[in-house]
Amino acid sequence: MDEIKLKIKKNLKFPLEADSITPDNFAGKTIAAIKKLPVYYATKKMTIGDFFDVSGKSTEVGNTKIIMEGDLSNVKRIGEKMTGGEIEINSDVGMHVGNNMSGGKIVVNGNADDWAGAMLQGGELEITGDAGHYVGSAYRGFWQGMKDGVIKVKGRVGIESMLWAKSSKPANKWPTLYCGSADAFLGIHNHGGTIVVEGDVDRCTGADQAWGNIVVKGKVSRLLPSYKKVGEVKEVQLPNGEVIKGKFIEYSGDHTIKKETAGRLYVAA
Amino acid sequence: MVEKVRTVTDVCCPFCGTLCDDLEIDIDLKTDQVVEVRNGCQIGTKKFYASNPSEHRFEKPLIKKNGELTEVSWEEAIDKAADILVKAQRPLLYGFSSTECEAQSRGVELAELLNAILDNTASVCHGPSLLAIQDVGASLATLGEIKNRADTVIFWGSNPVHAHPRHLSRYSDFIRGYFRTDGRNDRYIIVVDPRYTHTAQIADKYIKVKPNEDYELIQSIRAVLRGTDLDVKEVAGVPIEDIKELVERLKSANFGVLFFGMGLTQSLAHHRNIETAIRLVTELNDYNKFILIPMRGHYNVAGANQVFAWNTGYAYSIDFSRGYPRYNPGEFSSVQLLMRDEVDASLVVASDPGSNFPAGAVKNLFKHPLIAIEPHKTPTSAFADVVLPAAIAGIECEGTAYRMDKVPLRLRKVKEAPGESLSDKEILERIIEKVKGKLGE
Repeated sequence: MDEIKLKIKKNLKFPLEADSITPDNFAGKTIAAIKKLPVYYATKKMTIGDFFDVSGKSTEVGNTKIIMEGDLSNVKRIGEKMTGGEIEINSDVGMHVGNNMSGGKIVVNGNADDWAGAMLQGGELEITGDAGHYVGSAYRGFWQGMKDGVIKVKGRVGIESMLWAKSSKPANKWPTLYCGSADAFLGIHNHGGTIVVEGDVDRCTGADQAWGNIVVKGKVSRLLPSYKKVGEVKEVQLPNGEVIKGKFIEYSGDHTIKKETAGRLYVAA
Repeated sequence: MVEKVRTVTDVCCPFCGTLCDDLEIDIDLKTDQVVEVRNGCQIGTKKFYASNPSEHRFEKPLIKKNGELTEVSWEEAIDKAADILVKAQRPLLYGFSSTECEAQSRGVELAELLNAILDNTASVCHGPSLLAIQDVGASLATLGEIKNRADTVIFWGSNPVHAHPRHLSRYSDFIRGYFRTDGRNDRYIIVVDPRYTHTAQIADKYIKVKPNEDYELIQSIRAVLRGTDLDVKEVAGVPIEDIKELVERLKSANFGVLFFGMGLTQSLAHHRNIETAIRLVTELNDYNKFILIPMRGHYNVAGANQVFAWNTGYAYSIDFSRGYPRYNPGEFSSVQLLMRDEVDASLVVASDPGSNFPAGAVKNLFKHPLIAIEPHKTPTSAFADVVLPAAIAGIECEGTAYRMDKVPLRLRKVKEAPGESLSDKEILERIIEKVKGKLGE
């Protein structure tokens, strides 16, 4: 794989909006051309070269890997709308990382701020630390958020993660989130998304879920009263084919949407 | 007999979102001061009296020199204010809810000119309502319709006896309407609140909800309404029998209305509380007519949302940094921006963030240059670098304001502003002129 290295050379007082940092934008460009791509700092339009040392080479999108170093905790929108290739971020990263991406892979070796993987249409986002709020969520006012792809967060995800996730059986699209633990309102308005939590989750998990599967291997701090117990199961079959073994209590819900619902919440027995 | 006072009638009260429009104000002809306010509630009356010259009012522009606020000319003050704004890399324009719509639209103009962040006080009060309405819509009506038709009224997390004192007698409780000829006796009042408030004490039914569990309670009401038999015996401290009884009561209403306040928008779950409340109201429309109305606090915060929305497409938390408006509460809302210290100069119009923002945000607000357009001494103006004395909109200058049900009403001028005070609109226009000059436009 062709590698392009970006090392940040300035301390940022304001957030830097770097939606131009994607394999799609870098592919086939010379280093000089990449340095001229726009970034937005406070009210000013500047260039990648103003903030980053750039080295390496790239050919085509699928064969391009961007490696980012330095403190990127205030750099927003890395990997926005990317369709292929890879980004490796060796730092904490700012808001909106990988939003609207439809292919390729982003690995964040650190924590991510809010809206990581928002409106994900495909591809894979991996975060080795914690993630902020609204992981894999729909943006304000959208009724369909994450439609495909996988988000893996080793640590905790913030509130309202996987908001308005939407699967499609005919298109075989199954948006999936794996996380260590989760804050309140995980999978709210779920329309077919799959969520697997290794640890505990906070209140209101699966609120207003129409259909979909949420598997919690730890505890739920306050189960919604509108969920009803169905029974106990020894394994959970996920729509993407994966099977999770273990004793779970199966709940149906959210019954605010329909009297009979296909929404399921599995909590470790 | 020689007249000593002149009376101005049909005055709109520029205090709360109820925007009562029947006040009568007596002005002393000799001193041009408010001497009598009729029909107003205690809070509104006080605001009219507070417009009289006093040690709390600013009468001349001030600039901080050597740590002291010093009187200067308008020219110098406007120049200094424009200078601060033009030099800032990420300025914030905040407030706007206690002034009239024309001034608000000048605020939008200035924000666009400066590529600034524009926000109003909805971001710390009913912003969650706006987010929820954006997600699931809302069934609304005017207060007049409620007065004439409503027979079931719910106050959820709202205490109008103290916050909107004349709301009950003008629209929602005691007033006789066209189809509610017996006033209070024709209405069934339900109050949901963790505390037994004064509004709860005059209600027909009081439901004590555990703090921060409103969401669960509304969800279970919705599930029961769908005909689901819940597994639990009680929700948020309310027995399931009470919930079933409440659902029957709501279904049998002719015209129901849900008024909700800060108790719902600013307790945990914020906009999700409102969203599920809106959905409950929507679902109740299968059985009857049901609507909901946010109990807006500032008299023209609804107007600020309207003006910002028709100019930029968004009601609050707007960022112009890329030259076009973008919106994302949490990312571009004032409190969060200040907490992250992403703002390097602020202009506050008719608001006092210094006394109601979180300490961390206030600290960062005061750290950077601050301009206050403000009639009175406030904690915010005490730390301002430039204070521009404003005439109080609705008392000392005319304008338009939107009531909580989004009905626009004309504000009246009842007296002259003291000293050299100018209207918010004129101050902002002068700043815009100056900023244009400095930017070379």
